[in-house]
Amino acid sequence: MFHRILIANRGEIALRILRACRTLGVEAVVAYSEADRDSLPAQLADEAICIGPADARRSYLSAPALISAAVVTGCDAVHPGYGFLSEDESFAEVVRAHDLTFIGPPPEVLDRFASKEGTRRLLGGYGLPTIPGSDSMIRDDDHALEQADRIGYPVLIKPSAGGGGKGMRMVRTSRELQSALRVCRSEAKAAFGDDSLYLEKWLEETRHIEVQVAVDRYGHGIHLGERDCSVQRRHQKILEEAPSPALSPAARTDLAERAVRAVVEAGYENVGTLEFLVDADGNAYFIEINCRIQVEHPITEMLTGVDLVSTQIRIAAGEPLGIQQSEIVPRGHAIEFRINAEDPAHDFRPSAGLVENYQAPGGPGIRMDSHLYPGYDVPPYYDSLLGKLIAWGPDRETAIARGRVALDELVIDGLTTNVEIHRALLENETFLEGRMTTSMLDRVGSAAFLAAAARS
Amino acid sequence: MPDAKASERDRLADHAAIARLVDGLLPALIAKLSTTRLGELEVREGDWRIRLRRPTAGETKDGRRATDRPSRTQPGHEGHGHQRSAPEASRPPRIALPTGYADATIGSNGSGGAKTTNGAGGGDYEPAQPVATSPAVGVFHPGPRAAAGTRIRAGDTLGSVDVLGVPQEVVAPVDGVVGASLVEGGTAVEYGQDLVQIELAASAEAR
Repeated sequence: MFHRILIANRGEIALRILRACRTLGVEAVVAYSEADRDSLPAQLADEAICIGPADARRSYLSAPALISAAVVTGCDAVHPGYGFLSEDESFAEVVRAHDLTFIGPPPEVLDRFASKEGTRRLLGGYGLPTIPGSDSMIRDDDHALEQADRIGYPVLIKPSAGGGGKGMRMVRTSRELQSALRVCRSEAKAAFGDDSLYLEKWLEETRHIEVQVAVDRYGHGIHLGERDCSVQRRHQKILEEAPSPALSPAARTDLAERAVRAVVEAGYENVGTLEFLVDADGNAYFIEINCRIQVEHPITEMLTGVDLVSTQIRIAAGEPLGIQQSEIVPRGHAIEFRINAEDPAHDFRPSAGLVENYQAPGGPGIRMDSHLYPGYDVPPYYDSLLGKLIAWGPDRETAIARGRVALDELVIDGLTTNVEIHRALLENETFLEGRMTTSMLDRVGSAAFLAAAARS
Repeated sequence: MPDAKASERDRLADHAAIARLVDGLLPALIAKLSTTRLGELEVREGDWRIRLRRPTAGETKDGRRATDRPSRTQPGHEGHGHQRSAPEASRPPRIALPTGYADATIGSNGSGGAKTTNGAGGGDYEPAQPVATSPAVGVFHPGPRAAAGTRIRAGDTLGSVDVLGVPQEVVAPVDGVVGASLVEGGTAVEYGQDLVQIELAASAEAR
């Protein structure tokens, strides 16, 4: 096991990692920017070291600053948390070059899973279903029509180069396809200098479901069930729950088992999350793998009793997993509410400033992961996550009821938070029936959603 | 998303403006404030405004450690992972931002970094003392111009901080005479740490 770990992150995840270090009996050094001098993780650390100014490019995103901090404080490992440099294989490589261990997959594993397209092909080859698409780039109109018939309408025309929606169209019929191809070609040519296009099946009303896996260095892997992250606003997750209300027990086990089998065979190591889009018919399509601890990991911890951050550290230290799949028996239902400093009444504009008062909720099944304290000044430079409120219950209704009580108990004075959107969700029929899809909040509009909740 | 692009441009422009203010204006302002008996200085430039306020009598000296890295302490114990001091004095200068922004604390750029370490004592102002600070986290190596008594100009190199084998210059924030070294050569230092005190030219000459 490591002797001393540098925590190369901030906020609630820095605190979460610090707690895991304490549990394992490992000393924790917190690297902080000037803007985080008074932060809770910096205060609680065994040692805290200032690595740079508020600007993340010169602090939390600066590999030399972080590694230098690890070296001068005598650390033997670096925990990157999520975001920042957590999935940067070149950072992992430099960490190792300085005789430090990167807590996550080894650099060569990160490298293997670095490209989304490459990972889809790799894991597709190990039996994970991917979104159906054309067998190659479109050669001509006849080829496109033939491929679209095989995939089934609606289909999405995508340019091989670039992104940002240029040269991209969803079409529902062969006539639409023929006329759209010409437009997409010229758009792609103009935007990227390359007019090659391909087709992908258009998935309507999808759910975002992800499978948590843990694989040790010796090729022993387990899954820890799935999480449903379908409640999103502009592709940002707001609320997550486990198990997914959309999957039957058989479908859930099948998806999780296929996921862990594929990553073990593909040589993955450490904790990771495989993301799937699930359509209305229950078909799951693999989209990407996250090679790090995720924001929403606590709901899995609540269900399985496994400390995922400690597991991540132990695997990086070369320890065997020490748990069999049969020992993972998920119990009950858990919901995570992301508490953000943003104003739902004003298009979720972020806010920052002094926390005049803070009181965490409590009671059976309630967990609050937050770096707030009364008198803490939330800096404006970083993401708006103030903490995560997690409600567990033996069943979904109890988890929801406990969530309502906890949201009412939570006090954060001085900042505008998104708590209202969570209250509204817990009164919303679609959510209560477990029918949320990733596009629903955006389609209804958050303002209309809140207004409807206020009326009921 | 044109909105996102526009706000990204605004953000970059803001960053550039902050960098200009911090690198160019702030050290000069601090030096100016240090040599006068003024309590407060404010300068406007475009949409931006910098206000510097000298700690008033009763506020304690900047309590940040000058020589050591934070030592291991127990959570909940009086001294935390890093020392804390009176809120006003421990903070870098505050820069007022355009309307719609929170009043933000901007850290001074390491290479141009300057801080005053003297608060007011006994109700009367003493000239505040600037300090050359560490531009990075690493190991401090004082240079020949870091010897006490050396007459220096703002921008002179007083030594370096070694970051994984790459030296980063420790730069004198103001004209003056080198005073006490706060950190021994070969010591690990963090970003922004006070390294070498500087006596201001004006006050040095007066003696």
